[in-house]
Amino acid sequence: MADMKMLDSSDRGLSTGYMMWYRFSRNPAAVAGSLILLSVVILAVFAPWLTPYPKHVGAVVDFRARHLPPDLAHWFGTDKAGRDIFSRTIFGLRVSLLLVIGVLGISVPVGTVLGLIAGYFGGWVERIVSGLTNVMLAMPPLVMALAVSNLLEPTLMNAMIAITLLWWTWHARLIYSVSKSIASEDYIEAARLAGAGPLHILFREILPNCVSVISVKTTLDAAFVILFGATLSFLGFGVKPPTPDLGSMVADGRQFMPDFWWEVLCPGAAVLYVTLGFNLLGDGLRDMFDVES
Amino acid sequence: MAEPLLRVENLNVTFTAYGRTRQVLRDVSFTVAAGERVALIGETGSGKSVTAKAIIGTLPKNGRITSGSIAIGGRDVLTMARGEREALKGTAFSLIMQDPLSSFNPVFKIGTHLDDVMRFADRRDGKVSSKADRNARIAAVLRRVQLADTERVMNAYPSELSGGMRQRVLIGLALLHQPRLLIADEPGTALDVTTQDEILNLINHLVAEEDMALLMITHNLGVVRKVADRVVVMHHGDIVETGPCTDILHRPSEEYTRSLLDAVPPLYGPRVTDLPQSGEPPIVRIERLNKIYGRRNGYHAVRDVTLALKAGEIFGLAGESGSGKTSVARMIMGLSRPTSGKLAIDAPDPGRGKRLTQIVYQNPGTSLNPKRTVKQTLTLPLKSIGMDAARRDARMRELLELVRLPQSYLAKYPHELSGGQKQRVAIARALAAEPKILILDEPTAALDVSVQKTVIELLMQLREELGLTYLMISHDLSLMRNFCSRIAIMLRGEIVEEGPTPEVFAGPRHPYTRALIAAIPVVTDEEERLKPTVTDEERMRFLVKTTD
Repeated sequence: MADMKMLDSSDRGLSTGYMMWYRFSRNPAAVAGSLILLSVVILAVFAPWLTPYPKHVGAVVDFRARHLPPDLAHWFGTDKAGRDIFSRTIFGLRVSLLLVIGVLGISVPVGTVLGLIAGYFGGWVERIVSGLTNVMLAMPPLVMALAVSNLLEPTLMNAMIAITLLWWTWHARLIYSVSKSIASEDYIEAARLAGAGPLHILFREILPNCVSVISVKTTLDAAFVILFGATLSFLGFGVKPPTPDLGSMVADGRQFMPDFWWEVLCPGAAVLYVTLGFNLLGDGLRDMFDVES
Repeated sequence: MAEPLLRVENLNVTFTAYGRTRQVLRDVSFTVAAGERVALIGETGSGKSVTAKAIIGTLPKNGRITSGSIAIGGRDVLTMARGEREALKGTAFSLIMQDPLSSFNPVFKIGTHLDDVMRFADRRDGKVSSKADRNARIAAVLRRVQLADTERVMNAYPSELSGGMRQRVLIGLALLHQPRLLIADEPGTALDVTTQDEILNLINHLVAEEDMALLMITHNLGVVRKVADRVVVMHHGDIVETGPCTDILHRPSEEYTRSLLDAVPPLYGPRVTDLPQSGEPPIVRIERLNKIYGRRNGYHAVRDVTLALKAGEIFGLAGESGSGKTSVARMIMGLSRPTSGKLAIDAPDPGRGKRLTQIVYQNPGTSLNPKRTVKQTLTLPLKSIGMDAARRDARMRELLELVRLPQSYLAKYPHELSGGQKQRVAIARALAAEPKILILDEPTAALDVSVQKTVIELLMQLREELGLTYLMISHDLSLMRNFCSRIAIMLRGEIVEEGPTPEVFAGPRHPYTRALIAAIPVVTDEEERLKPTVTDEERMRFLVKTTD
């Protein structure tokens, strides 16, 4: 610790950005993770142009071509309706990414704000927020999600709602503890003495110090959301057919194992690929942000 | 001439970080003879700790010894096999760590820590020892560091012992195997002066008794005078000069050493500054102030404190940790409410968003938000008093000028600034909203002495230019001697002595004041002679027990 401080003080001339870039670029996991995610994003965004059979996303049936093993025409083979699995997998990535953006786009801000407030103000606000998170965390997530999507129609939107309802609690709890420890720092008291209001302190003083924690947690969470979404659709509570979804594709292919193995393994490998990307990037980010902590 | 116990020759060490390599030690050579006490002194970044780490073999991964040799007892440790070098630890040399709390694992008892070290050392020597036998040896060691109730100490968890006792146990840990060289990295710096004094006495006593050599690493020139025969002065990785302790302290030949000595505030003698007494009426009046933390059987932190701060003076509130000085300051700031008593600030209402009091914290590293630039930090108080953007910019330029920082620093983040520069920014922030009273909470405790000197000079000038009143909280009496016009000494929540600083120091009436002044490590023999004397009985009555 003392050594690191000594070093950092000697590198005073270097900007934070340079130090982070230096750490990032020398972290193979982080670089690999971001390359994977970059490829996933490009594939998902340009799916209609990059896939060989964009029409196979819909309710196309071509029984002559059913259960074809992987070859040059169909890289991942075809499924029971003769649709190109490669095309459907790429479109499935779209669904997964949409799910990540939808779930984390709501639950991260909500969880962060609640966590910040609970950690900084303490007292009854803290008791209410932490009580609520404790109740939410006590519910088995899968059962909860199944219940919600059972009540509502099984669509992407509803799956998103189900997952979001669970997800904000993890963020709230994490940011709560960070916020609580930052709230006792001298610079927070100094800001208060300088006339800062609670909004300024929450969002200008405490939040910037949580950014590293939030981004690491969010990245790692993205992987879980994808897995969770895939689990829901595997169980039949996710996206409605014929929209391709990685989880339901695995579920569909399951009945044909082990003869037509590509129908399970290829979409499954896609899930693995995306999750791995998020996890590697998350770990890399954690190493990178160690600069300040 | 006999081979010295430790010989460091032409040691060069480089550190690599973020693709850049820097040389942190340049041709460092010195020796420690058997039974000799050598002090390695220098400020932050001088390379003194790196030197010690190179000797012990605990350089961080990105540090590399590029050339040179380190010989212990005539054998080069750098060419030794790993296991062989490891075996030297504890027997050839031992280390006393700086921080007595973080050196212990809080979930194990003190006895377990000591027993582990002994058991591993025995195993290494191929000895079989019984628990009872080891316990007897541990008890003997604890008695040597003047912890008489060995049973209680061994069964205590680290948190149950006082800082001084923990430091004693650490010293005992270092002594388990009769090392020939004791390396001490700023022992006692984290403790109160009176405790530090006792720890230094103990180290001196043990070194003489066991005929050990001592390599003391410190930044405190007063400590050097107390424990060293010879001094090695380091600066930016170079050895500036080496010589007998009295020569270095009284007749330094190098400019750097002279400036270092000059920066140490004197306790007695002709270099002492006396500040004029303020003739103004009181601006802060405190009467029978009490603070009790907790509801029932609460901790009585402040007891019947009565004080008056005159406008324009620098009032010093001195005391050791837990004396209640910070509680008093927080009540004056309005940060906590007194349990009983009167507290009045006699000044006109400063107007919207302004406060009569502001504070400069002890550690500028924690009082500035690491994610906010100097400009953002300074904008906040200016905005809250209702200044528009143009006036804020002008005022910010003014403030930076006041604290003698270049304008370009507005865009910098705290980690790009040195400790002294950060403290200047913190002072600028405190001044931004034009307070009348500035509370200084050990404003230089985290800084090097030379930096301390410049910050103190700045504070003096600011007081004159802006007509401020300062309340300084500190335990550093030598600094307060030169910086405060009046001083009050606090002990366990009560003020035991109060008066104009020169008078208090010339004839301290309360035995605690005498003990406190006597414990300050001073640089010259003359100052040592002028210190008040304390009897052992008085010491026992007022000081925190560090033995049992």
